[in-house]
Amino acid sequence: MSFVSKLEETLICLKAGRVTLPYPAQAEPLPDKFRGRPIFDAAKCIGCAGCANNCPAREILVYDVCQEVRVLQYLGRRCTYCGRCADVCPEKAITMSLEFENATNQIADLGQKLELFMSTCQRCGRCFKGAAALDELKMKGYRSDDLQSERWVYRAHAFLETEPAVADIEIELD
Amino acid sequence: MNGSLIWTIVAGVLNIGIVLLVAPLCQGVLRKVTARVQSRQGPPLAQPYFDLLKLLGKEDIESGQSPVMQRFAAYLSLATVLTVACLLPMGFAAPMNHAGDVILLIYLLTLCGVCTLLSGLAAGSTYSLVGISREMMSMIALEPLFAIALIVGAVHSGSFRLDTVLRGSVYTAGGVPWSGMIMLGVILLSFQAFVQRVPFDISEAETELMEGPLMEYSGPKLALFKYAHMAKLVIYSALFVALFVPWGSALMFPFGWLLFWGKVLVLVLLVTLVAATHARYRIDQALRFFASLFVVALVALVLASYGH
Amino acid sequence: MLKNLCQKMFGRSLWVYHANSGGCNGCDIEVINVLTPYYDVERFGIKLVGSPRHADVMLCQGPAMRSTAQSLKRAYEAMPAPKLVFAIGSCACGGGIWFDSYSVLGPVEKVLPVSYYIPGCPPRPEAIIYGVAVALGLVDKRTAPVVFKQLEFPIPQYHPGDLRSDGGMVVYEKLEKI
Repeated sequence: MSFVSKLEETLICLKAGRVTLPYPAQAEPLPDKFRGRPIFDAAKCIGCAGCANNCPAREILVYDVCQEVRVLQYLGRRCTYCGRCADVCPEKAITMSLEFENATNQIADLGQKLELFMSTCQRCGRCFKGAAALDELKMKGYRSDDLQSERWVYRAHAFLETEPAVADIEIELD
Repeated sequence: MNGSLIWTIVAGVLNIGIVLLVAPLCQGVLRKVTARVQSRQGPPLAQPYFDLLKLLGKEDIESGQSPVMQRFAAYLSLATVLTVACLLPMGFAAPMNHAGDVILLIYLLTLCGVCTLLSGLAAGSTYSLVGISREMMSMIALEPLFAIALIVGAVHSGSFRLDTVLRGSVYTAGGVPWSGMIMLGVILLSFQAFVQRVPFDISEAETELMEGPLMEYSGPKLALFKYAHMAKLVIYSALFVALFVPWGSALMFPFGWLLFWGKVLVLVLLVTLVAATHARYRIDQALRFFASLFVVALVALVLASYGH
Repeated sequence: MLKNLCQKMFGRSLWVYHANSGGCNGCDIEVINVLTPYYDVERFGIKLVGSPRHADVMLCQGPAMRSTAQSLKRAYEAMPAPKLVFAIGSCACGGGIWFDSYSVLGPVEKVLPVSYYIPGCPPRPEAIIYGVAVALGLVDKRTAPVVFKQLEFPIPQYHPGDLRSDGGMVVYEKLEKI
């Protein structure tokens, strides 16, 4: 009796044929809304650090290098691909791509580092980002080889000091 | 005398060479057919060759309680199986017919099992000891079955010589060969246990349940044990075919030889199908099974001694 | 010559030992999925063995915990050379969500030298097969670090004491950048 059931079992399995997916030869279709690796778009990021605030694994670090440059660093090590950063980003700068083939032999390969230029507010000195990339280009302080811009940045600093730091050059008011 | 000595040596080397070459292929067939029964694409047929070569290239970690005994057990296991290969006819007459008789064959087959015990004892870890205790229990219940089959053949043919017994002598009774058919059934039912495959691989290949006696072996010694395990399948199949299904072995050289290996392949396929569809038995279930088979075998022995 | 052949065969038959040192079992299930008929990885010759002494590759899953770090190290030392360690899942690669828990020491590489990382939470079975293929050298890896810079810094900043005027032109002496 059990022998017959084993024969039936064999026949059922053999009828199913070969169900192995030919994975390396052909890619499998992904399910809807699949969350792969997050991709950070530096053109849209405004450096608000909302993603860093929301990441459950504390994987996104946002820090200022100097007054003009804010660094957003995504180390890919502990990322659980939950997608909360993409949910909360106000500029939709983070997209959960469809890449899941992320195997590597150096874990630093997964990191993405964005160094963003933030220009300084004249009055309070905090940094902000321009509305569009072209506006950013025109902002003072963006181009480091431009003497005019240098002086503008310098001027912002001088404005906050009580005594005039420079006595012999004219500071033109813009 | 010189000619027959040279012929003996050549035939012995040929037998050993054939077993060494064919054993991983049979294992490959077993794995592939198991995979197909499980509806998946299995490893390539030559996979066990790759496995053995890879194991030969690994570092040999000498661990366990007595490394000397471990080495000895590893060499002994493959050596025993290959010695049995010299005694068996594989499509042509056995090369060492005159060197031993049926009793030697029975002892050598038991020695194959004892090698597992030695390996487990040499390793000395808890898992190994439990594994070999189970192997001891099943060996006590199991080895008499094949011994009784060979003795039934010897009783019927009247001599212990290998070439008379291993020619289907279990059927040479007058009238209906009851004892032969009973022994055929008994050995078929317990064949899986002799070759140590599921559902009866309680001790050695049991890396899923417990690591078993092979736990402390790595690298080349493991390659020797695995090779012995694969060769046991070929040896026992050849023995079964020579003893129970000998028809057609007297044909001319290519056909008799090919027919022999065809029968061995059919037996390997049968072993595979049973192995792929069954789960492993517990030791007490297996012992009860073997005990009932032993009683039946004793009945067959009594019948044989009365000439049936 | 035999040694060369043996080393070439290393890639054709990898024996795998699975060690879960404190994870949530999500990656366990994905690793076992890889051995099922759908993603059958035995066609590449990979077999799951029960003893580290038989294995070539250790699949580590879960972060290294205080309680299991010792056992993990012992299992690694029990493996015969040549050996590889794969860290599967975010917990093994970097500590995962539990990185600041009281019992988690950190990622697996605090305890063992890891050869390959397969991130994901849990990684898809295809991702695990891809990782194995990268390790065997069959495919190239698809990730590389990304650094985006909008301007080169350090931003040249000049000290006001170095400014002097030169007939309508402002000249900076000491042109080194701070």
